[in-house]
Amino acid sequence: MDALTRIRQLGMPRRNNELWTFFPVAKIPTQEFPDACASEDDYSEENDFAALLPLAKNARTMTRTIPDSAEEMAMLKCNNDFGHTVLDIGKNAKVSLEILDNKVAHDIAAERFDINVGENADVEIFFANPACDLPLRFRHFNIKQAAGATVRFSSICKDTAIGRVSVECHLKGEGASFDYRSLHVLDGNASQHSRLTIYHEAPRTTSTQLARNLLSGSAHVSYDGSVIVGYDCTGVNSSQLVNTILMSEDACVSVKPVLKIYHDDVECTHGNTVGELDAEQMFYLVSRGIPKKAAQEMLMRSFAQETFLPLPDSPAKKRLMASTEGAVSSY
Amino acid sequence: MLSIKNLKASIEDGTQILKGINLEVKPGEVHAIMGPNGSGKSTLSKVIAGHPAYHVDGGSVELDGKNLLEMEINERANSGLFISTQYPTEIPGVNNVEFLKMALNSKRAFLGQPEMSDEDFKKLCEEKMNLLEMDERYRERGVNDGMSGGEKKRNEILQMAILDPKVSFLDETDSGLDIDALRIVANGINHIMSPEKAVILVTHYQRLLDYIKPTYVHVLRHGRIILSGGPELALKLEDQGYDWIEEK
Repeated sequence: MDALTRIRQLGMPRRNNELWTFFPVAKIPTQEFPDACASEDDYSEENDFAALLPLAKNARTMTRTIPDSAEEMAMLKCNNDFGHTVLDIGKNAKVSLEILDNKVAHDIAAERFDINVGENADVEIFFANPACDLPLRFRHFNIKQAAGATVRFSSICKDTAIGRVSVECHLKGEGASFDYRSLHVLDGNASQHSRLTIYHEAPRTTSTQLARNLLSGSAHVSYDGSVIVGYDCTGVNSSQLVNTILMSEDACVSVKPVLKIYHDDVECTHGNTVGELDAEQMFYLVSRGIPKKAAQEMLMRSFAQETFLPLPDSPAKKRLMASTEGAVSSY
Repeated sequence: MLSIKNLKASIEDGTQILKGINLEVKPGEVHAIMGPNGSGKSTLSKVIAGHPAYHVDGGSVELDGKNLLEMEINERANSGLFISTQYPTEIPGVNNVEFLKMALNSKRAFLGQPEMSDEDFKKLCEEKMNLLEMDERYRERGVNDGMSGGEKKRNEILQMAILDPKVSFLDETDSGLDIDALRIVANGINHIMSPEKAVILVTHYQRLLDYIKPTYVHVLRHGRIILSGGPELALKLEDQGYDWIEEK
């Protein structure tokens, strides 16, 4: 079944679909689709509208192969409202992949990335783009990892409108590891949503999720993270942590952790904290003579930077830390 | 220098903790405040600093003739007040040295002085760290982050040394210190002290006062200073406790 047919079958997203529980679905404009769909793969199992949309719109697919053992730094940028990138990364390759904002002419943009990671490859995927005022943007990642493959997925979002990043990660080979880190620094009416599903499909696979949010104005962030551990997947280790600081009365965060575990010998944790800047820490800084605004900024910066501090030194970390500094300073 | 007159303060539920504190501190003096647990010693330091958990019901606190109670918290510090609390707050992620530099330059900006250069600040920091026998690891750590009780107290005195306040109010600086650390911290305080400055020490024990000789010793109980005397008063308290004062 092609993507267009599948979209017609599913219909437009609705809040009673658990994939879209927190998303302001009424803001998605009704789409005009082409008469025929160019996608040849079978999408009958795909349930996410955002994953289907670029394909149903006949986005030109860019395919890239990174050979075994290659070392590459790459930047990806779509040249249209809708984009589809297929990336095949060979065994033992070491790849740093930065995703830049696409060039958008209309009021909705959607990108899909299918990334296949070979055995023992080491991949970092990140985006830390300037604040985007695009009315509505979807980004969907479908990541499949072979045995021993490591993927570090990191992002900073300062966008001012509505957006959704969805990630489906399949840890298919033994020892594969997925690390997800996101930072939202939002103000005004920004409404940003993360939807993650991590499938542990092999033994001794690991995943970590750390999402941090600094929200002001009437900003809204949602984090809908699922971890699914399959049968016979012994030794799986997974953690999920969402930390939010609300800087205003009207800012809001919605968090929904889901754990589906079909094996006994696993370790899975999840946690969620919501609060204001620590009053005692604020007092301490100000009681040393630091003005209130500067003290707030110091605490916000430390909160934000800790999102990415544990990453190994790399182009991604350098870029993310610099972008964090900028995001907080302009707050 | 520091003049506290009839200071009364309460906590959020309306319970009054300070019930009329009077204290005059002149340049060059060291005042020790002693008293049983819950008498209001820590509250006094926090009220003077402007902690938002306390409400001032009356009285005044003046530093060189300026009413501290009318100032913002950071202005009090920049005017020359330094408060070290009993349990210094940990701030992971805020680098110790960056914090110290920001604090010092905030004070300099308040006083109309130019920002200190990185090179000069590094020298100043090294000098004060040597004084307190602190190793280089302190530079890299977050403010009080993961530090032992003694390390935190030493870090507080480092801040005091760098910020060079007129009046320092040190709340149980000796708690959590081993014998060597106590000597180092006390020597640091003595080194920072000068005829133009004053120190108020809150302590439960004579041992700190063996190193830092107080000009006056005060007993705070039930939110009031009920007895003042010279250094000999601390020795008597160490020997006999506080009950005899009530009997008096």
